[in-house]
Amino acid sequence: MLKSTITRLVVMLFVLTLLASGCAKKPVTEEPATSEQTTQMDQQQPAAVEEQAVTDTDTDTGYDAEAAARNAERAAAKGLETIHFDFDQYVLTDVSKSILVNNAGLLRSAPAVKILIEGHCDERGSDEYNLALGEKRALATKNYLVSLGVGADRMSVISYGEEMPFDSAHNKAAWAKNRRANFKVKR
Amino acid sequence: MKHFKIYFLNIMIVCLLCSPAVAARIEISSPGEQTIPLAMTRLLPMGVGGAQPAIAAEFQQVLQGDLELSGLFDLTDPAAFLSDAGKLGLRRNEIDFYQWRMLGAEGLIKGGYRIAGGKLTIELRLFDVISQRLLTGRRYSGKLTDVRKIAHTFADQVLKSLTGEKGPFATKIAYISKRTGHKELYLMDVDGYKPVRLTNHRSIVLNPDFSPTRKELIFTSYSQENPDLYRKEIYTGRESRVSLKPGLNIGGRYSPDGREIALTLSKDKNSEIYLLGTDGTIHRRLTNHYSIDVDPSWSPEGDRIAFVSDRRGNPNIFIVDVHTLEVTRLTFEGKYNATPAWSPKGGRIAYSRMDNGVFNVFTIREDGTDERQLTFGSGSKEHPRWSPDGRFLVYSNDLQDGEKSIWIMRADGTGGRKISARGGHDSHPAWSHRW
Repeated sequence: MLKSTITRLVVMLFVLTLLASGCAKKPVTEEPATSEQTTQMDQQQPAAVEEQAVTDTDTDTGYDAEAAARNAERAAAKGLETIHFDFDQYVLTDVSKSILVNNAGLLRSAPAVKILIEGHCDERGSDEYNLALGEKRALATKNYLVSLGVGADRMSVISYGEEMPFDSAHNKAAWAKNRRANFKVKR
Repeated sequence: MKHFKIYFLNIMIVCLLCSPAVAARIEISSPGEQTIPLAMTRLLPMGVGGAQPAIAAEFQQVLQGDLELSGLFDLTDPAAFLSDAGKLGLRRNEIDFYQWRMLGAEGLIKGGYRIAGGKLTIELRLFDVISQRLLTGRRYSGKLTDVRKIAHTFADQVLKSLTGEKGPFATKIAYISKRTGHKELYLMDVDGYKPVRLTNHRSIVLNPDFSPTRKELIFTSYSQENPDLYRKEIYTGRESRVSLKPGLNIGGRYSPDGREIALTLSKDKNSEIYLLGTDGTIHRRLTNHYSIDVDPSWSPEGDRIAFVSDRRGNPNIFIVDVHTLEVTRLTFEGKYNATPAWSPKGGRIAYSRMDNGVFNVFTIREDGTDERQLTFGSGSKEHPRWSPDGRFLVYSNDLQDGEKSIWIMRADGTGGRKISARGGHDSHPAWSHRW
C-alpha cells in the first residue's frame, strides 16, 4: 500500500514536470514511399562531441527542466516491469499478467505518458518467424493493458525478434531472459 | 578433291556433335555422382610482354577452386604432367593428346596470358582428349585486377560446354555482417573474395534479396525505427524505402520476372504474406490466418509461393497458389521447419529444420515427397538459398563458438565450405542472378 502510494507520487511529480516543460511533441512526418536518398558506401565518422567543463553556478533553467523531465521519465520506465514468455509462445503467463496489472496501475496514474512495447525472442528459431512472434508478444501485452483500462493510443509496439538479446549467452537461463516484452517511455 | 570432301564432312560432324559427346556423361542435377578426369595446365605467357607468374598462379587457384566445388571433375595431379603441359600450343594440332590420354585425362584445359600496357589478355581452350576436339575456346581481356573474374567466367563456360548449363561462379552473394558492430548489408564474390559493405545504417539490416533484372537489392532495416523494406541500387548507391507500413515489412522476395515483391506485412496486427508492386503499393494479400505467416519464396514459374506458418501448431512450410490462394502443407516431419527456398530450376525446395535447438538444411520435392537431410552436425545451418543454376546452396553456419559465417555446398549436401572471413557474425545470404 505504502509502496503504491510512493509510486503514484513519483508518477504525478513526473507528469507535473512534463506539463511544466511543455511536453513538446514531435510531429509525425510521413515520407512518400518513393523518396530517395543517397547513401555513400563509406560515410565519414561523425564529428566528435564538444566537451566543456561546467561548474555548480553554471545553471541554465531550461536545461534543468528538461533534465528533470528526463529523469522522471526514466523513473517511470523503471517502474514498468519486463514480462517473460515460454518458448515459441505469445500467451501471457499468470506471472506476466500479475506484473502487467501493476504496470497498468502505473500507466493509469500517469495518463500523459506514452510507451513503446518491445517484443523479443530467444535466439532459437528462424529470424523472420521470431520477428513475427516478437510482435505477437508485444501485441498480446498491449491488448492486456488495454483490457486493464490503459488507452490503446498511448501504446505502440515494435518487434526486434532475436536481434536484441538481453543476455547474449547461449544457454537456457539467457534464453528465458530474452523471451520478453519490455517497455520504453516515449519522448 | 576427295581429300577436301572428307575434311568438309569432318567439320560437319564436329558441328553437329558440338558438345553432346562428353556432356552426355554428366547429370546436371546430381553433381558429385560422376566425375570427369580433367587436366588443367598452368597459364603460359603468350608472345611478347612480361611474364607475371603471380597472375597465372591466382588464375589457377580461382579456376581450380571453382572446378573442385562443382564436383564434376577429378583433377589430374599436375606432378604427373608430361612435356605437353609446358608447351603453349593452343591449337588442336599442336597438342599431344596421346600424353594426356596416358594420364587418364578426358578433358584438358590449356591457356596463355599476355600483359601489355596494363591490359591483361587470357586465352583459354577446353579440349575433349578422347575425340581430340575443341569444346570451347575463349579470349578474355581486361585489367590486371580482372583475373579472378576471368577465371570465374571461364569456369562458368567450362560447365556450360560440358553440361549445357552455365556455372554460377561469376555471380555475387549478398549477406548480413556485424563486423562494424551493427548488422549491415555486404556483397562478395562466390568464393568469398572482395567483401564490400553496401549500407551504413548503424541500425539492424536484415534479409536481402536480389532483383532478377537489375543490379539491385531489397532488404529490411530498422534505420527509421520501424522494420521497413528498402531497395538499394548496388553501383549507384541510390537507396529508397519501398514499404513502410506500421509493423513488419520483412522477408521481401522479388518475383521471378522482377515485377512484384512478396513479403510479410503485419499492418493489420498479424503477420500475413502480401504481394507488392515494385513501387510499394499492395497488389494482393495472399494469406488470411491468425497464425504467423512469414518467409515467402517464389516458385520459378511465379505461380506459387512457399512460406512458413504455425497454423497447424508448429512452424512448417506451406505453399500458397498465387492465383487461387489455395494453401497446401509441404512439410510434416520435424517440429520446426523454416526459411524455405524454392530452387530456381524447380523441383525441390530447400529449408532448415530445428531439432534440439540446432538447424540443419533439408530439401524436399515440391509435392512433399523425397525429403533429404543435406547437413549434419552441431553447427546451426540456416537460410539456404540456391545458386541461379540450382547446383549449389549458400547458407549461414553458426558454430556456437561465436563464429557465424557463410558457407556454400553442392545441392546434394557435399563439398560444404566456408566462404566468408572470420569474425563477422555473418548471416542471411542471398545468391545473385547471372551477373
